[in-house]
Amino acid sequence: MLARVSSEALHGLEGRAVEVEADVVAAAPAFTIVGLPDAAVQESRERVRAAIVNSSYEFPSRRITVNLAPADLRKEGPSFDLPIALAFLLATGQAKRGGDGLAAIGELGLDGGLRPVSGALAVAESVHRRGLRGLLLPRGNAAEAALVSGLEVYPVDSLRAAVAVVEAGGGERAQPVAAADLVAGNGCGDADMADILGQEQAKRALEVAAAGAHNVLMIGPPGSGKTMLARRLPTILPPLAVQEAIDVTRVYSVAGLLPPGVALVAGRPFRAPHHTISSAGLVGGGGTPRPGEVSLAHLGVLFLDEFPEFRLAALEGLRQPLEDGEVTISRALSSVTYPARIMLVAAMNPCPCGFLGDREQECRCPSHRVAQYVAKLSGPLIDRIDLRIDVPRVAARERRAPHEGEPSASVRERVAGARARQVRRLAGSGAYANAHMSARQVRRQCVLDRDAVSLLDRAYERLRLSARGCDRVVKVAQTIADLEGAATIAVAHVAESLSYRARGIERR
Amino acid sequence: MSDEKRAERLQKPLTGDATYGERRLQFARAAERYAAAYLERRAWRVLAVNQRVARGEIDIIARRGGVLAFVEVKARRSRRCGAPEDAVTPRKRRQIARLAELWMGARPAVMRGITDVRFDIIAVDLSCRPPQLRHLPAAFDGGR
Repeated sequence: MLARVSSEALHGLEGRAVEVEADVVAAAPAFTIVGLPDAAVQESRERVRAAIVNSSYEFPSRRITVNLAPADLRKEGPSFDLPIALAFLLATGQAKRGGDGLAAIGELGLDGGLRPVSGALAVAESVHRRGLRGLLLPRGNAAEAALVSGLEVYPVDSLRAAVAVVEAGGGERAQPVAAADLVAGNGCGDADMADILGQEQAKRALEVAAAGAHNVLMIGPPGSGKTMLARRLPTILPPLAVQEAIDVTRVYSVAGLLPPGVALVAGRPFRAPHHTISSAGLVGGGGTPRPGEVSLAHLGVLFLDEFPEFRLAALEGLRQPLEDGEVTISRALSSVTYPARIMLVAAMNPCPCGFLGDREQECRCPSHRVAQYVAKLSGPLIDRIDLRIDVPRVAARERRAPHEGEPSASVRERVAGARARQVRRLAGSGAYANAHMSARQVRRQCVLDRDAVSLLDRAYERLRLSARGCDRVVKVAQTIADLEGAATIAVAHVAESLSYRARGIERR
Repeated sequence: MSDEKRAERLQKPLTGDATYGERRLQFARAAERYAAAYLERRAWRVLAVNQRVARGEIDIIARRGGVLAFVEVKARRSRRCGAPEDAVTPRKRRQIARLAELWMGARPAVMRGITDVRFDIIAVDLSCRPPQLRHLPAAFDGGR
């Protein structure tokens, strides 16, 4: 007898329709799975066999052939356990289908219990797009799937419970989750910009960076507060919009980083990978591609501490995502694209010992070591970083200052105001922040007054800016103007923008 | 001959004028007859013993109702080489499954009315007294 159950395979961040067919005939017994299954899917046979017997069903001595169609799409992971077991029970007549339009995913334990799988949100969206009525899935995945409105989500704990839902054509349904109710707070705990003593210039620069989604490089001696500043950057970023939160959640779900029972990643991501990370870990990849740290930081902050210590291949791999806001990973059989619209925050010491340019402590590095250290950062990569700021050691006077710094909430208000102006100006272009403007948008939309133009021209000559560098100066100046609410870019805005460009590496 | 008699005879040391290889073969055949007798007492109809198929051999083919069983018999007089059922290696299992397909393909008349097909192992363990016969139904399948 033949039976068919709908399921889904993950391809990048999208679900792809897969039909699981089971055929049971009286012939030499064998249990085979065909249709381009990978090792985890092959192992599914042993889990399914044990789960069926331990759920008090019969595992008859017949030839069982399971086909995962379409056969040219590679099937990965354990999420086909449940549809295979259901198709088997339907094909052997041990279960009767009570209604159409249900798909199923889930990993089976040997006892017949169900374990959560990755990518449930993407699967649920795809099932809904296909026009199916509902989805059976492990209880731990129900919350994220319930974000898809209009889809019947059936959380099940065991194979027996899943059979009950299939036979009744329905059952206990998960409460629909409205993403809008969950988007709140910044997900940063109680960290606040006010925690940082002094460093007013650096804070101002971060505010500008946050307002225009610009990339930042912080240069300063050890312990001056670079890491502390970076960790507080998400607290001054505008809160995630509902659709943005869903986009972030989809990445986390596919990466298997969404805790069971959690519906939504509501705060802006902050990722701080260690500098020993591999290229595949940072930009994504692997034999079966997985999202890397740039994608996990999508719409949030990617913080790279000890920037020059990162592997060259890993850093250079950042160029495409920084430019395009996405990563494409190509394999012989397929290629997948992950989103990677990030704010890059890099931190480094000015030299190997860390004290070059310090007012009190002398640098002990020979000049060629400093040159080597700085040369690890390639021109094209540095060119993509709009703001470079010095984070010097805080003077004793400032440390003792009794007044608290400005709290994140009020900075965030200004940032949100500046972003709103950008969104209005850039509406319809796909970009939502100044950092993402194309060269053409810069020419059309950024209006400089006459003094600003002449300052920019002089800087272009004196600082030997590249054409792209010049565009970047204008973008940052535009952000500063947006923070002020100014309609045109004035000379002061360009001057401040140039100060972020001239600092740091190129000065030395 | 009673089962006990057969078992006892199996336990006797292998002697006589025959070569070592011939004596081993006689022992194996005796174990297969012993296993076939066991199946028949349990209402199985033994269709064939030592059935040659292509270049191989299936020890016992038996039927009970809609169930057709291909039985591999393994006998051991001591535990020196491990348990008898462990001697059915993955390679041997694949071979039996392949031979079974050929056998069934050539006999559509026999296959009428068969609903289940199984691969069984009968282990004849003579290392203990009284000798033990262990029947493992559906011990393996033809899958990879």
